[in-house]
Amino acid sequence: MINNFKVNSNEIDKFKKISKQEKEFRIKNLNLFNKNGFPNNKSEDWKFSDLRDIVSKNFKKLDVQIINSKSKNTTLIKNFDHNFLVLINGNLSSSNFDFEEKNKIKIKNFYNDNFSDINKYNPLIHLNHALSDTGYSLEIADNYKFKKTLVIYNIFTKELNENILNSRNKIQIGKNSELHTIDLVVNESKNKFMNNVYENVILKENAIYKNICIQNEKSDGFFHKFSKNTLSSKSKYSSFIFPSGLKFNKLDLEFNLEGEGSECNLQAASLLNKNDHQEIKTRINHLVPNCKSYQIVKNVLNTESKGVYQGKIFVKDIAQKTDAYQLSKALLLNDNSEFNSKPELEIYADDVKCSHGSTSGSIDETSIYYLMSRGLNREESVRLLVSGFLNEIIEMIKSNSIKKFVQKKIEEQIHGN
Amino acid sequence: MKNQNINTLEDYKYGFTTDIESIRAPKGLSENSIKFISKMKKEPQWMLDWRLKAFNRLKNLKEPNWQKPKYPKINYQDLYYYSAPKSASEKPKSLDEVDPKLIETYKKLGIPLNEQKRLSGVAVDAVFDSVSVATTYKEELTKKGIIFCSISEAIRNHPDLVKKYLGSVIPLTDHYFATLNSAVFTDGSFVYIPPKVRCPMELSTYFRINASETGQFERTLIIADKGSYVSYLEGCTAPMRDENQLHAANVELVALDDAEIKYSTVQNWYPGDKDGVGGIYNFVTKRGACRGKNSKISWTQVETGSAITWKYPSCILQGDNSVGEFYSIAITNNHQKADTGTKMIHLGKNTKSKIISKGISAGQADNTYRGLVDIGKNASNSRNFTQCDSLLMGNKCGAHTVPYIKNKNSSSTVEHEATTSKINDEQLFYCNQRGMNQEEAVSLIVNGFCKEVLQQLPMEFAVEAQKLVGISLEGSVG
Repeated sequence: MINNFKVNSNEIDKFKKISKQEKEFRIKNLNLFNKNGFPNNKSEDWKFSDLRDIVSKNFKKLDVQIINSKSKNTTLIKNFDHNFLVLINGNLSSSNFDFEEKNKIKIKNFYNDNFSDINKYNPLIHLNHALSDTGYSLEIADNYKFKKTLVIYNIFTKELNENILNSRNKIQIGKNSELHTIDLVVNESKNKFMNNVYENVILKENAIYKNICIQNEKSDGFFHKFSKNTLSSKSKYSSFIFPSGLKFNKLDLEFNLEGEGSECNLQAASLLNKNDHQEIKTRINHLVPNCKSYQIVKNVLNTESKGVYQGKIFVKDIAQKTDAYQLSKALLLNDNSEFNSKPELEIYADDVKCSHGSTSGSIDETSIYYLMSRGLNREESVRLLVSGFLNEIIEMIKSNSIKKFVQKKIEEQIHGN
Repeated sequence: MKNQNINTLEDYKYGFTTDIESIRAPKGLSENSIKFISKMKKEPQWMLDWRLKAFNRLKNLKEPNWQKPKYPKINYQDLYYYSAPKSASEKPKSLDEVDPKLIETYKKLGIPLNEQKRLSGVAVDAVFDSVSVATTYKEELTKKGIIFCSISEAIRNHPDLVKKYLGSVIPLTDHYFATLNSAVFTDGSFVYIPPKVRCPMELSTYFRINASETGQFERTLIIADKGSYVSYLEGCTAPMRDENQLHAANVELVALDDAEIKYSTVQNWYPGDKDGVGGIYNFVTKRGACRGKNSKISWTQVETGSAITWKYPSCILQGDNSVGEFYSIAITNNHQKADTGTKMIHLGKNTKSKIISKGISAGQADNTYRGLVDIGKNASNSRNFTQCDSLLMGNKCGAHTVPYIKNKNSSSTVEHEATTSKINDEQLFYCNQRGMNQEEAVSLIVNGFCKEVLQQLPMEFAVEAQKLVGISLEGSVG
């Protein structure tokens, strides 16, 4: 069992051909991480998800080596035409943009050139910045709308066993451009491993970005993703998150609404099963007037699972006419499950419309009675109600073929128990 | 110039001090000053031991620092922990013997200690500084077996009850300020309602901070035995001061089977001047335990004063079918800061709780609702409903909502909703149109906004509270 996980500074010497500046940056971050190790529940941001405890219970060791697996044939989604990126253990392995104008798209391995930005709070970001060497960078030129969806296959190979992967991704979408992506997690490893991702999404004026996050099947992955999103004026960000099926999953999403008239939407629906632990943490910074944000998070909790939602809306004093909404709903199916939420508002402007709601409770007995009186057994009734509960989110997806694909995945998860 | 003077005088209606010579404990926090307090109070040895235990514990504790309003470091060695009006050493037997200056002060405060007391039907245990000077209506209460006295008297006369319940809701080992209070508390009220007795009147205590540099450490203990009912009022005013004064009271409520306690507070302590100089630090620990089946505790608070208000009246719902309620209005203006809310801890089956919180901030003030709803694993069929609304006036103030919601039981339901908005321009216009000036209109609208909470207050308080709401927001609009 790992009691006090620290990373040896030799690991940094293994990065060849890095500038002095980069080396300093990595060492600085490594020291920050090593100071306290994995965060525990004494830290406010990790109050409901004691990562130190989770890691020590599940891992005997954690290997920080980068696993270089060869690319092999990836089973592609056949339901709809799409472009794709294949990431193997976080490493960009292949890409295909056959449906698009190639000169509008720049795709390469991620290369960090910003060494000034040191995060203050999150030790996992420190760990990431100290050790990350994989990831992709995608840039879309101005005035270009993607014709087909881009599917990002995140493949985790069989070789993974008690490893921790650190990768950094960046997506930048130019003025008036539009991109739709699906992040699909395909896990071939039967073992436990950690994946720690730092993502940066930048939307220029009027850009539109839509993203769907989904797992292919259940797995023993322990995931943490920090996503920093910057929105310029009139840009729109919409994200659907269906994160079910991981042992531990924390999504830490930060949205900075920096341009007037920008808008961000976040919809999440998840079904947590035995021993799953999942947290969605958001921070939406309304920094300028006339921005909109909308969040809806739905969780269904089965036996011995734990769900957490920590959402924060921050409204700066000049951000008048802000419209911010936050809703968290949870269904507890079993007494051994637990749902914690902390929907937070921090508001310094007066002419705003900000509200939030949070509910958690059991399935309505009268609805079950209604269904059972029509010939369904109890189990079927519960399933139907659960899928109805989650379907509300899926219904918000506009494209029919994608909606069907997501629906099928969620159905599989519901019936998989 | 003349006008200005008048204005500042009017700003804080109750900003006056009375010159009464005080007996003081040696300055600073030490074993000696605790022994001095205990001796002055003629306390038995067990009480002194209890205090010293708390003091020892305090040495290992640190002041909490997670709260939103930050405050300058308090020098605990620079405070007097005990001061009593001189006349208290020979307790007056009737009102005629009471120091006329005290009576005058109470008159200014509007406490119905004389003729008014009968009309208003309020029994007042008036605390001037730290010692109870006069307790009224004792006879009528005694007939019913109700004990309503100062906590020092209770320690001397009802040691069994005090020993059993003191510190049972807020343990000695709680947080910094609660432990500090346990070590140095000077006085406060003690209420015991015997089984199946419905207290015939609203019990009330007026606290008043008087001597300069004296932190007040009140200790209140209310016990409602099986099937009893009591409604308790607490109201606060304090004279105008330039230094910050610390107030760290502890209030413990215990409700046994089928008992009900209603605790109402109107807090109007000196909030500091327009630039945020001075004002009271109000760091209070209030906690109630619904120990018995079908018991109920209801907190109502109107918080308009203090430079910093930092309190979370809580309910521990242990008994099956017990009910906890929390109604709050917190108004902050100028540089005031409030971080207040509640904790509802559901342990028993079929427990219910309701939280209604209204926060209003104006000027450069910050108002935070922070609350916890915790449904335990065994609290089947429990329910919580929380509603927090915030109203902002101007763009220099802040309103924050920080609810913690934990649910471990699948048959329980938790609902939370919160909104933040400003005063509707159309409503203001409507009122203006009908001949109200801006301030009257704001006062009316804010009173409407707070109505759900104001309705919970007993009659005596409701009127005062409504006026307070208006006064607190003067000068914040326009």
